[in-house]
Amino acid sequence: MPVFKTPFNGYSVKFSPFYESRLAVATAQNFGILGNGRVHVLDLSPAAPALTELVAFDTADGVYDLAWSESHDSLLIAAVADGSVKIYDTALPPTANPIRSLHEHTREVHSADYNPTRRDSFITSSWDDTVKLWTVDRPTSVRTFKEHAYCVYNATWNPRHSDVFCSASGDCTLRIWDVREMGSTMIIPAHEFEILACDWNKYDDCLIASASVDKSIKIWDVRNYRVPIAVLNGHGYAVRKVKFSPHKRNLLASCSYDMTVCLWDFMVEDALVGRYDHHTEFAVGVDMSVLVEGLLASTGWDELVYVWQQGMDPRAV
Amino acid sequence: MATQSPPSPSSTAGNPPTLAAETSQQATGVQQDGPPEAAEQPISSPSVFVNSEPMREEQVQNAVKFLSHPKVRGSPVIYRRSFLEKKGLTKEEIDEAFRRVPDPPPSAQATSANQDGQVKSSSSNIQSQAPTQALQPQPAGAAPTAVSPASTMMMSRFHWYHAVLAVGLLAASGAGTAVFIKKSLIPRLKSWIRKVVLEEEDDSENKSIAKPSLAEEAAAAAKAAAAAASDVAKASQELLNSKNEERRYFSELMNLLDVQLQEMKSMSNSIRKLEGPSNNSGRTSLVNQEDHRDSVTGVKQPYANGKADFDMQSVRSSSPPAPGEPSVAPHPKSYMEIMAMVQRGEKPPNIRDINDLPPNPNQQLPNPRLAPKAKPWEVGQAQIASGQVIQSQRKNVKITEVGEDEIKAGPYGVRTNEPPVQRTWVPPQPPPVVMPEAAEAIRRPKPSGPTEQSTSHQLASQASEVADELQRITKISEVGGIEEIKGNGSVQNSSEIQEEQETHA
Repeated sequence: MPVFKTPFNGYSVKFSPFYESRLAVATAQNFGILGNGRVHVLDLSPAAPALTELVAFDTADGVYDLAWSESHDSLLIAAVADGSVKIYDTALPPTANPIRSLHEHTREVHSADYNPTRRDSFITSSWDDTVKLWTVDRPTSVRTFKEHAYCVYNATWNPRHSDVFCSASGDCTLRIWDVREMGSTMIIPAHEFEILACDWNKYDDCLIASASVDKSIKIWDVRNYRVPIAVLNGHGYAVRKVKFSPHKRNLLASCSYDMTVCLWDFMVEDALVGRYDHHTEFAVGVDMSVLVEGLLASTGWDELVYVWQQGMDPRAV
Repeated sequence: MATQSPPSPSSTAGNPPTLAAETSQQATGVQQDGPPEAAEQPISSPSVFVNSEPMREEQVQNAVKFLSHPKVRGSPVIYRRSFLEKKGLTKEEIDEAFRRVPDPPPSAQATSANQDGQVKSSSSNIQSQAPTQALQPQPAGAAPTAVSPASTMMMSRFHWYHAVLAVGLLAASGAGTAVFIKKSLIPRLKSWIRKVVLEEEDDSENKSIAKPSLAEEAAAAAKAAAAAASDVAKASQELLNSKNEERRYFSELMNLLDVQLQEMKSMSNSIRKLEGPSNNSGRTSLVNQEDHRDSVTGVKQPYANGKADFDMQSVRSSSPPAPGEPSVAPHPKSYMEIMAMVQRGEKPPNIRDINDLPPNPNQQLPNPRLAPKAKPWEVGQAQIASGQVIQSQRKNVKITEVGEDEIKAGPYGVRTNEPPVQRTWVPPQPPPVVMPEAAEAIRRPKPSGPTEQSTSHQLASQASEVADELQRITKISEVGGIEEIKGNGSVQNSSEIQEEQETHA
């Protein structure tokens, strides 16, 4: 299974929605505390199982997250720790990049997500307690959503309702927003501790997964949000990212500070269906490919990017 | 759709006035999309993503109590809201509670002034009741005073801040009464009894024993007085007991509130701690928060000493700590070193000065070379819903490919291209495969040199070749003839080369 070594600590990995063999990795120097950052665009060459770098872009500050555009196959959004949102055209050389730098957040931008249904807009969430809505052609944000009382670690679009998104924050709440409404439409006090990630179920648009510092992942149904549908325990430390499978309704992947990537089936009593402990440091980014069923990618602070097929050992040669 | 009460000040505070205009634009622009989407959803017509429960009065009252506490009054509004949200209150309940509590925001003052007046009058009633009744230390008076504490207890549930005063006054008056009784009345009675007895003795010494009835009467009177005094003492005792009970309830209340305030304080402390250090050294939100939680919950785990294997194994072999209690994950040694450096104010040596601003801020956005593919979760729905609509979809496909830029560049919220029958908007299907070898070519982009890294130039050529094939296919389906391919192909090749030259110029 292919591995790629990044010079800096990995923070996020995302598969391209256009090319089956392409993925991008966000990295930050010095664990993201203080230092430069780099975005790598990698290609999974089918001949020899290896990850090769197509292009890399350097940034002054660490890059915490990425989002591929759903409308333009070569555009990449980067969430940078200095508060800026940068748009890269991977078809142009690094000297012509970035093509846009949008600086509105007043603190680190922690996540970016592109709208998969509308395909013309994306949201970024930041440690300045806000979520901002942007389109690639505008130099300023379209809307700012300010209600959380602490850092917003993640904001993700609903896969079916093009105007609805969910945000996860350090104030221990999940909030559901509709861009047509003034404020949030639902507040779910999901955990007793900070919530680091959230994701929608692709096949049931009312289910949300939330991952928290309390080591658990909870599945919520927005129609009955007082009690979670399922609580997934098994990680040894804070869960950093959670992602529902694009191909299977009940499957989700998560990565944690316990250095493992876990697969869960939340409808089953014994929910943990897979565990991969290939990383030797915090596993911080995980993604499941939309184009290739069962293809997983992960990255972590051990400066390694793994791409593997579900069921196989990521470290196998 | 969503029943939104007027937004709280905190949510709109950060938005410049232009956004309000934009949202109204959006609302009007999206109106076409909203109703059809809502009506066609399998879920009920108000959006599922809105909380439609009625307000819970009990929760609102608890919130009002919380917000009325003087310590809470001094804290910023955002922390008060955050606390109530974490307790599970909905927005409407929180807004209602804020409305009921007399609060600086001007919108709340008008409604709260009336309530305030009512509260003050009722509490003044209580206060006037208590002193007048308490200062009448008669057995008959003891009963109403016992009742008035009960009534103050009833009132205290609504406006305990005023009840605090009432209770305090009652306690003071009761204590004063008891002391007064103990110190002045009883000794007086006793002395009066002694006098009577002495007089009697004197009398009996002087007078004949022929007046025993007087002494008896005096003794009887003394006994009666003593009995009355003891009754009064009992009554005052009861009064004191009820006061003590009240004090106990009150202290319990205070304790509960203190616990809640402790939580809030710890939150604000941790936030202050995080915002204290400058931006350079402050990138420690996640880790520090875990640290702080660690100290709060009392579970201490030392940081790992290094990345040594034995450490990893010790981490993994130990059973995971109880879920629900976060514990600090052991960080790598170099992480701790860098944190220490940064906190001392030193900059780690390997950082370069990089200018990552756009070299050409007006760089044009590229033309999309590939049509967006349908997502796997959408394909199923599309197949079910649009069996009959393939024809119109094919037309849609061409329109989107050619005019995609125009649509995308339009104002947010304007979508002109929707297949009418489907329940939700589904991206158009990729164009039908007319030439199988073209489909092959698309699936397998031409292999690049294995050793050297592909530069973006090669990337561009690959991508444009792929797009080239795609354009050829669509041309075929449009025109319907194969003879024109070669002619078109050469034309396109030359234009493609020109394009490349332009971009690299």
